[in-house]
Order: sequence, then C-alpha cells, then structure tokens
Amino acid sequence: MTSAVPAVSFSSVSKVFLKGEASFTACSGLSFDVYPGEILAIVGETGCGKSTALSLLLGLQAPTEGHIRVLGADPFAEFYALRGRIGIIFQNDRLLPWRTALENVAFGLEILHMSKAERLERSRHWLDRVGLGKFIDAFPHQLSGGMRQRVSIARTFAINSPLLLADEAFSALDEITAASLRADLLGLIGEESKTTIFITHSVVEASELAGRILVFGKPGQVVREVKAADMLAGGGNKDDVAQAIRDGLQLARQRNGDSALASPSTA
Amino acid sequence: MIQPSDTSGRKPGGSTALPLTNGGRPPTVNARIGATRVWWTRVTTYQPVIVDLIAVAVLWQISTFFFSPAIVPPIGAIGTAIWNIFSDWQNLISLLVTSLRVLVALVLSFVGGAILGICMGLFRGVRTYARPLLHMVQGVPALSWVVFAVIWFAQVELRIAFILIIATLPAFALYIDGAVQSVNLDLMQLGQAFRASRLQQLTKIIIPAIVPEIMSAWTVNLGNGIRVAVIAELIGSTVGVGFQLLQAQAVFDMAGAVAWTLSLVAVLFVYQGIISLCERRLLSWRPKGEMA
Repeated sequence: MTSAVPAVSFSSVSKVFLKGEASFTACSGLSFDVYPGEILAIVGETGCGKSTALSLLLGLQAPTEGHIRVLGADPFAEFYALRGRIGIIFQNDRLLPWRTALENVAFGLEILHMSKAERLERSRHWLDRVGLGKFIDAFPHQLSGGMRQRVSIARTFAINSPLLLADEAFSALDEITAASLRADLLGLIGEESKTTIFITHSVVEASELAGRILVFGKPGQVVREVKAADMLAGGGNKDDVAQAIRDGLQLARQRNGDSALASPSTA
Repeated sequence: MIQPSDTSGRKPGGSTALPLTNGGRPPTVNARIGATRVWWTRVTTYQPVIVDLIAVAVLWQISTFFFSPAIVPPIGAIGTAIWNIFSDWQNLISLLVTSLRVLVALVLSFVGGAILGICMGLFRGVRTYARPLLHMVQGVPALSWVVFAVIWFAQVELRIAFILIIATLPAFALYIDGAVQSVNLDLMQLGQAFRASRLQQLTKIIIPAIVPEIMSAWTVNLGNGIRVAVIAELIGSTVGVGFQLLQAQAVFDMAGAVAWTLSLVAVLFVYQGIISLCERRLLSWRPKGEMA
C-alpha cells in the first residue's frame, strides 16, 4: 500500500438490473480498494461482472447499493468533476474514423477545452512517444490494428489523467502485437506513475502486468486476491502468480457450480 | 519511447506522393500521357450518361417519323427552344427563380428536418410521436398540399415555400433520425468515458458520424424538391418553370415544354454536382471503396 487514501474505493457495492418483472444481479457486495500508483488487474470469466464494475467506476451507471469513490468523488453523482481525471483504453480502439491520428489523440483534449495550439502540440508529443510520429495525418483505416491501438493509448495518455483503466485492451490483437504493446504500455505507466486498473480475462496478461490481482466470480464479487508483487518479492515467479490466479478462477467456477474444466479463454 | 512493431515499410493510404513540379520545364511525354489518361477516365465515368442521352435522342428522332411535330417535335425544334430559354433574360430568370426557390426551401427544410431528426434520434419520446406524423405528412399527395396552400396563403412565394418545405422536411427528419440512431454505440461510449457534455457528444461525435446520411438525404430530396416546385408553380405563380410549362401547354408548344423540362433537369444535375463535390470534400476520409 502506497497511501492510506485509496484512489478507487468500492464499499459493499451491488448492482441489480431490472427488466420488467425480472431482475439480474451483476454485482453483489463488491468491495475493494486501489491505492495511488498501484497497478491492479481484475480477472474473471465472461459474465462475472467485470464490465459492470468498470461501468460503475466510470460513473456511467449508479450502484443499486453501496458507495463508490474515485479520486475523492462519486463518479456517478459528480460525473463532470472527474472530467480529464480518468483515462480509458478500450478493447477496440474506438478511433473516430473521420479524424486523422493527430485529431484522434486531440479528442480528449478538446473535451477539456484546451487551446488548439496546445492540444496539437501535446498530441504530436504523444504520437511520437507511441512511435507514430510519422503517421499524424493517417486516418484510422490507413493504420494496422496495433497502430490504431497505439493511437488510442496516446489519446488516453494525452489527457494526463491520474487514473488509467484498460478494458481488455489487448484482446483484439494478435499475440505478438499484444505482447509488444503490453510491454510498452507498462513502460509508459511506470514513467507516468499512474494508478492503473487492467480488466482482462487473460491470466498471462494479469500476471505480467499487475502488482495485485482480483479474481472475480459471479455475481460481481472478489473471490480471491493475488498479491503478485509480494509473491515475486518473496522468491516466487510469474508462473506461481499465474497458478494462483488459475486457482482463484477455479474457485469462482466451483462457487458458480460450473464445470471444473479449465476454460480456454482463461488459459 | 514506444517503437511500433508493425509499422515497417507501411505507408498510409498505400500510395507514395510524387513531386508535382519538374523544375519549370515543359511537360514531359509522360506528363502528357498522364493528362490524357485523366481526360479519358473522366469520359469513361460519364460514358453511361452520354450513351443514355444518345439513345433517348435517337429513339425520339425515330418517333418523329411516326407522330406529328405537335406531339413529338424534332430534336432541332427542341434545341431551338432550349436556345431561346438560355438566350432570353426573361426565360433565364424563370429558370433561376425556380432554382432559387428549390434551394432556399431545401435549406430551410434541412435546418428544420435536421433539428427534428436529431431530437427524434436522441429522445425516444419525440420519436414516438413525430414518426407517425411525418409518415402521415409524407403520405399526402403534393397536389393536396397545393390545394391547402392556395386556401391558406395569399402570398405566392409563401405558398410555394410551404409546399416545398412540407414535401421535403419529413424525408430529412426521418433520414437524420435513422442516422442518429445508428451512430456506433462504441463511439458514443467513448464520448461518455471522456465525460463529453451533451453538446460535445453532438458536435464531435453524432454530427460528423451522420454526414454520409445527410448527403444521401440531400440527394433524394433534391429530385423530390424539383418535382414539387414545378407543381407548386403551376398555380398562381407568374414566373418560374412551372408557370412556363403551363404557358407552353396553353399554346400546345410541345418543343417548349420539353425544353423547359430539360432545362430543369440540367439545374438538377448542377445541384447534384455541387452535392457530389461537398460529399467528396466532407467524406474525403473514407476509404476509396466506400465513396459513392
């Protein structure tokens, strides 16, 4: 723990979706904290509530019960107070197809009402940092999948938010490109000292990226906490971390009453 | 600094820019061949239109052998009538007035339709009540609107503007409503994640995303507007193509009627050309295969 005041705090959070007479519980009693500068991964199988947790964290939905604090604010009730303070990298790049790479990077800065000269300068800087300085005038359809994701990373870092979220950021890429991008992103996070939450279903990704891993089970609960940094400091290796995550996923499956067979998606 | 692993040897757009000058020297043989190619490409682009026009002209000329000139006038007579339109200021004013009426009405219709369409796309309540109403308005024949307008409005220009707007606004609104609803949800969520205000979502995501549909709506409504304008001008107007057609009908001047009709079609082509130019400029970001 690097600070007593968490950057992100979920306290007994529940989220129930109602559709007519039916209801669906996506999260139930979810509690966890993320401290400034920490790199956390949330791992879980499809439908375990990861996306709902992300949506609640972003303030796109209100929790049914419990409290969420993000950088000292309620992300739903004080939605605009967190403008420019949360950066997110999505699974797909979500670049605006009518904008060049430079204009896409500048998108978040436009939202923040930054002057044109300043935002273009900062966007150029970040495109340079992700290695796409020569592609500022390229439209998204002229770039490869990996390059587009780099532009989206530049767009996220350009706003200089203290909190970074990565939602399955590499799952749409081939393994070689994903591995390269993971390493590069980790380097940037280290340089910028950002509090980071990776949401993923990949055990390998979680064990490589995070200092602490929360394994989610249905319905949106933490079934195991894997302290990767402590394990590595205590003489363990990445394989041990990965195994601990797999054990957590197995526990989640047992709680759900699902098959104990390993799912290929979490291998 | 991140070094991209997948950028080697790849150039955006897949093409290399060539220098445009050759040091002030006269064009080389290659440059002349290039210019000829561009000219030939343009010819082949319009080839179907040229072939169609020639085919219609030939069929028309053949039919003059079987019908009286009063019913199917020879092409020469039509050509003379067209010359009379473009060489006489009074006639030219009629053509310009109709063109201007269509343009002004379409602009007003677009503004109203865009506001309504965006509201329909964003607010379900507006859509629920506006859609049936717009479909109902679309179902009313243009001639009925002419009758209503004659009863409701004494002023001729107001009457024509009303008929044109009521005939074209629903299509703009419905096109734009559909376009707003089909804006990629991922892009909308991107705006939300960056905490864009509603206005920012509208100006930075929704409007740029619906430009292709807006251009389609203009193309469709242009033809519709021109057709309705002529009908609207048939009653009460003392200037315009509709009025001129009525005059031609009164004196059984078939060559004149065809000439006025063809002149109006020429106006339509000019407007469509302008729309195509705007489309090319506004949608220049699209991959070549997606261009209309």
